[in-house]
Amino acid sequence: MKHQITYSREHALFLKKCRRHTVIVQLFRVGVLAALLGLWECVAAFGWADPFLTSSPSRICATVASLYREGTLFYHIGVTLAETIVGFLIAVALGTSIALALWWSESLRQVAEPYIVVLNALPKIALGPLIIIWFGTGSNAIVFMTVLVGLIVSVMHMLGAFVATDKNKLLLLRSMGANKIQILTKLVLPSSRAAFISMLKVNVGMAWIGSIMGEYIVSKAGLGYLIVYGGQVFKLDLVMSATCILCLLAAGMYFLVVLLEKKLVKSAER
Amino acid sequence: MKREILRFDDVGLTYHTRRGETRAAEHLSFSVREGEFVAIIGPSGCGKTTLLSLAAGLLSPSEGKVENAGVSFGYMLQRDELFAWRTVEKNLFLPLEIKKMDTAEARKRVRSLAEKYGLADFLQNYPAQLSGGMRQRAALIRTLATDPDVLLLDEPFSALDYQTRLNVCRDVAGIIRREGKTALLITHDISEAISLADRVLVLSARPAKVVAAHEMDFGEENDPLIRREKKNFSGWFELLWKELNG
Repeated sequence: MKHQITYSREHALFLKKCRRHTVIVQLFRVGVLAALLGLWECVAAFGWADPFLTSSPSRICATVASLYREGTLFYHIGVTLAETIVGFLIAVALGTSIALALWWSESLRQVAEPYIVVLNALPKIALGPLIIIWFGTGSNAIVFMTVLVGLIVSVMHMLGAFVATDKNKLLLLRSMGANKIQILTKLVLPSSRAAFISMLKVNVGMAWIGSIMGEYIVSKAGLGYLIVYGGQVFKLDLVMSATCILCLLAAGMYFLVVLLEKKLVKSAER
Repeated sequence: MKREILRFDDVGLTYHTRRGETRAAEHLSFSVREGEFVAIIGPSGCGKTTLLSLAAGLLSPSEGKVENAGVSFGYMLQRDELFAWRTVEKNLFLPLEIKKMDTAEARKRVRSLAEKYGLADFLQNYPAQLSGGMRQRAALIRTLATDPDVLLLDEPFSALDYQTRLNVCRDVAGIIRREGKTALLITHDISEAISLADRVLVLSARPAKVVAAHEMDFGEENDPLIRREKKNFSGWFELLWKELNG
């Protein structure tokens, strides 16, 4: 049986105000983008700056269209996307597994700590030459770079969450006679879901840094390759185009993680 | 006289950390009989929680012996510690899963307990949707799920506001009496101890030992709210207050 809840006039007004606020925020979001693109276009169209250096939205569209006609647009996108996603998945899976092992054994954790600190601080790009020599000039090298950039962050993020498991809940489970596997599956893993999602979000950014950085060092194709190539031959339209496509892809990947979050963490639990 | 089902025999316990060692208990002796409700009060930081861990066998004493005649324990903590990601029902089944007793029969018993104590309509809800009092009741039913012989209650009401606290206290006491459980309650609240227990033990500051033990003389009156109105209540309060501070 459903019954209708009737709100007071004041509440109806309040709701109306909330909705209006949301609409205004959305309008401004779109408005700011439109204004920036418009301004950019004007800068080029009216010759306020040299469009050869600044490019412009219309030139970007033309560049993307010509890449599409040449049939290389989706090839480059596909290469970078594949490298990024494979690297992302490996970093997340491996990082979480390592964090689990470190949670399991406190001694291992103590031994590993200084290594993790150093590896975290090390600028991964310093390993560029080594990676080329070890993995050649193909996608393997770029995937490896992507994993390298995301891995330690994943380990630290997840280990932090595992170790921060509520002490009283641990005591409760131990009082029930739970063994370590049960503590892991019933408490530590489920209570780390929020941290897992936030680790994924951080790693979306890390994966793109890794793959583009990898393509800067060594590549024959991909969006990073287009950016480097465009820079070298002074085709800034190409650089801007690839960058804009990157923005869209990164936003899309982030959005997928948010969808996963909605699926994993039900609102009723909060 | 009912049989003793938990006995501390000259128990001592020392905690070791890198900074040093702490004597948590010394020459600690007492016993709990079947079906008895024993409350233990003591100054804060006297090692009350340690005592429950010793009773439940989560810690082994450094000296002396803890005998528990092979009874099973249910532990109830200060906060309900319900898992936010499980429905109320799944929370109640948790101890069954842990102890590998997750049978249809056991589930049925837990569900009937939940029905009996007013949680039937909330089994499919998440803990966040329940009031503080209901959550604590759910925590008690979770403790009762495996049908333990002895309940160890570690200040189970101290996280609640005063009004909820009195109500939940009466609730929980009623359930424990009706289910005929033996209970060992740790609290720093003197009036809570008097209003609930058959017997009150007073602990000293660390290292903890029993400095006094009193049988409460409220006859058959087990309702904590009514006990609070009795004439002898204030007498006990004064005595225990002195012993706690003495």
